[in-house]
Amino acid sequence: MMTEEFGTPQRYSILRFVIIAIIGVLFIRLYMLQLFSYEEYAGESEKNSVRMITAEPVRGYIFDRNGKLVVDDGPSFTITVTQAEFYNYNVGELATLLDLDDQTLQDRINRGVINARSRFTPVKVKRDIDFWTLSSIEERMFELPGVSYDVESKRIYVGPARASHLLGYCKEIGEAQLAKFGERYKLGDLIGSSGIESSYEQLLRGEKGKQFISVNAKGQVIGSYDGGKEDLPPREGFDLILSADFGLQAYAESLMTQYKGALVAIDPEDGGVLAVVSTPDYDPSVFSGVTSTDEWNKLNDNPDKPLFNRATMTLYPPGSTFKMVLAAAALQDGIIDKNWHITCPGGFRFGNRFFKCTHVHGSVNVVDAIEKSCNTFFYQLILKVGLDRWGEYSKKFGFGKKTQIDIDEEVAGLIPSTAYYDRVYGSGHWTQGLVVNLGVGQGELGVSPMQMALYAAAIANNGVLQQPRIVHYIRNKATRRIEEIAHNSTDLGISPKVMALIREGMRRCVESPGGTGSLSRIPGIVVGGKTGTAENPHGEDHAWFVGFAPFDHPKIAVACIVENAGFGGTKAAPICGQVMERYLFGGQHLTPEPPAVTASRLQGETAGLAQVGGNN
Amino acid sequence: MNSYIKEYFDYKTLVSGLALVCIGLASIYSATLDVNSAANFYRQGLWSMFGLIALIVAALFPIKTLQRFSLPMYIVAIALLGTILVLGHTVNSSKSWFGFGGMGMQPSEIAKVTTVLALASYLSRPTISISNVKHLIVSIGIFILPMLLILKQPDLGTAIVFFATLVPILYWAGASYFVLAAILVPILVAAGALVGITQFLIAAAIGAGLLYVTSKNKFAAAVVFGITLALGLSVQIAFDHLEPYQQRRIVTFLNPNSDPTGAGYNVLQSKTAIGSGGFWGKGYLHGSQTQLKYIPEQWTDFIFCVTGEEFGFVGGAIVLSLFAFLLLHGLHIAGISKNKFGSLAAVGLIAILATHLIINMGMDMGLMPVIGIPLPFLSYGGSALISNMAMLGLLMNFFAHRKEY
Repeated sequence: MMTEEFGTPQRYSILRFVIIAIIGVLFIRLYMLQLFSYEEYAGESEKNSVRMITAEPVRGYIFDRNGKLVVDDGPSFTITVTQAEFYNYNVGELATLLDLDDQTLQDRINRGVINARSRFTPVKVKRDIDFWTLSSIEERMFELPGVSYDVESKRIYVGPARASHLLGYCKEIGEAQLAKFGERYKLGDLIGSSGIESSYEQLLRGEKGKQFISVNAKGQVIGSYDGGKEDLPPREGFDLILSADFGLQAYAESLMTQYKGALVAIDPEDGGVLAVVSTPDYDPSVFSGVTSTDEWNKLNDNPDKPLFNRATMTLYPPGSTFKMVLAAAALQDGIIDKNWHITCPGGFRFGNRFFKCTHVHGSVNVVDAIEKSCNTFFYQLILKVGLDRWGEYSKKFGFGKKTQIDIDEEVAGLIPSTAYYDRVYGSGHWTQGLVVNLGVGQGELGVSPMQMALYAAAIANNGVLQQPRIVHYIRNKATRRIEEIAHNSTDLGISPKVMALIREGMRRCVESPGGTGSLSRIPGIVVGGKTGTAENPHGEDHAWFVGFAPFDHPKIAVACIVENAGFGGTKAAPICGQVMERYLFGGQHLTPEPPAVTASRLQGETAGLAQVGGNN
Repeated sequence: MNSYIKEYFDYKTLVSGLALVCIGLASIYSATLDVNSAANFYRQGLWSMFGLIALIVAALFPIKTLQRFSLPMYIVAIALLGTILVLGHTVNSSKSWFGFGGMGMQPSEIAKVTTVLALASYLSRPTISISNVKHLIVSIGIFILPMLLILKQPDLGTAIVFFATLVPILYWAGASYFVLAAILVPILVAAGALVGITQFLIAAAIGAGLLYVTSKNKFAAAVVFGITLALGLSVQIAFDHLEPYQQRRIVTFLNPNSDPTGAGYNVLQSKTAIGSGGFWGKGYLHGSQTQLKYIPEQWTDFIFCVTGEEFGFVGGAIVLSLFAFLLLHGLHIAGISKNKFGSLAAVGLIAILATHLIINMGMDMGLMPVIGIPLPFLSYGGSALISNMAMLGLLMNFFAHRKEY
């Protein structure tokens, strides 16, 4: 049954009126806003054109251990394009000004827009343009709406050293890294790509700031918004203070420059890396600002691999420099004492093989054996000590594992064990003959120069192995404090008496008249050291030297490998001696040329060595 | 054949509704191009396909069955609303969502339609009379129940829509002016009480006048007025006992200009966007207010700013005209329909649309306080779009069956 009042024409008209009234009110309001008050709101909207731009932080400076500025920042101009304001028909003109081809420029703009998810964010299209290009673009900025420039900082390498592998370099961020770091980086940003530039990237780069600018309806900048009150200044990157000494670094580089190889100098007291040289190296300023594809390819395709850090990433057999590990194992575990001796007839017969020694040494104890580098002694000793005990001591001295240095480029190396040989050759398919060779540091052994320097430092400071560090302090710009980088040191648990015997062998190796390391001598200072030759199946052997000075209170430990230089005593030892001397005397007191007589005597020794297979 | 189509196919509702959906899609594209590469646009496009299915189903559903199913559907919607209070997602500090693996659903959108259908179905029963007090109370109860559940979420905007839908249906069903005044006056006075003592007194005076004029039984009018005064006073006392932050929220709600950095900021920017559009607009994808993101989440409740800024007065007038056409045509269906269920439901549906329209556009143009409810067909949001398109289908259904009792 229907109620009388349901849906009456009167009620219909009233509802109709209500609808028309609602629409009418909205219509009038729309008219008021858009036509009557248009001027007011259009003005408001134009004033409203505040845009946020990113203020780039200054990358942290780098100082060496003496407080000398070694990596500085300078201004670099980067051209940007804001796509929303840019007319695509200007691509050709801008590309010509920037010396790019049209397609490359268009691609960069498109990729930047996709990356920033906004057509209103300026996209970096070319970085580090020269002043001439900048001025010609600035002249035409009014014809090229949407084109602007950012002032960024670029690295300036003050020197005197190149220190390319230690410092590393910055590169434009790649697609993979962009995906990994997300919001914090934009296309075109620089990112540390090796060395400490990479490992300390997050501290060095600082934080981007925000700057609000007013733009007019055409998108041209009028000035800062609200007097800059809303701006958030960028936070500068933290400064790094290195333990490296750039005077020493430069000197070491000058000594190594004609060779392929590596040199590492360590402060044995705190693991501070004083110098890292890897040759051939490259000029880091190639990476300052912008790196052309040509230059990059030239470095990357060079067969000598200048980008590769030989000091931490190449593995060489250590040769005789490794003999101290075996001596420490035997003495510490009571397998021999300091008086235990053998008679060296010029070699060692094991099974049907004859392992040669450098000379006929006669009766030698452990100190004599280190001094004279008697192979026969160590051939016999490793059989007494055993492969796995030797391996355990090698690991103790930091071999076969990463040193935890504060750069990312590092390899662990290889110390073979019974398990390793069983895996490679099969159980029972290898003989102790392999082990005999390990006694003199040859065979399937891989160590890096960095590990060798730490090993020398551990011997120098009585059996404490340091974790190396390139960066010693950080200047924290947020707290305004200087903060020390933490590092570990491990006591190897080897008795001081054992370490003293080993050091005595190394002292005599340099200081005694017949010592193989005599070219590392420093006038007025006692040096401990050991030479070595790494057998190289592909060519001339590599020359090793490890050492430390002054003997009683060591301040520096050095390891050096010179590739294809033959015997360690001739090339590597004098370089190490000069590096140590330079560090201890600050360049005031340099060794004169080694006396001719010593050199010829050593040459004779080297000649003899060649006949016995180079196991000095 | 042609006359057959004219007789049963309501192309006017379909065309005007779909035109609004298209304008909405274009505006969402512009607003979200820089935000998520227009991902919202593509999602809304997908939802409009679901909406089209909902429209077709609603248009072809047998009207008798629909009438019979109204009550079960209503109960399901109430159950969903109850469940959501316990299990729902919290979006913008309000629990109104069901999440199904990335897709969200708002039961309140379903509840709006089912409640209208349920009340229309109830009132169209031959035994039910609006002048019967018991039947009137049941009718109001049908609306109050979902409204309370939605207020609990809390979603004030949707609750207001429920209230604003109830009154026209009761009016169309033939409720006396006194009954309508008795429903409206207490709400008016309570709202006045929240704003201040002066507003409370003015509202009470107007209310007393309305009740006096509309009533035949002066005693009933006095009772209602007494309840009204008690409600107003208790609202004031309750307000004084609220925490300061809760008070502030209510004050901002009633007067957004008191908080220029929050809701007031949005309205200011929204007015600027629309106002600066001028007669022809700034051009599609060239609205500086829109493209520079002055208004947060513009693609939801502030979508009309995009239309207003980029298409100007011309665009805004087209949108308003389409809505006017749709609403007046919907009312026309209610007026010519001999099917009481269809007629009442049609009024309810256009009431929902009209309330959304005035609240949303009024907010965008600074006429109304900021109440977050979407603009039908244009705002981004799947549940609302699908349910709005289903409403189009229902109107088409009522048109087709307008001659069946």
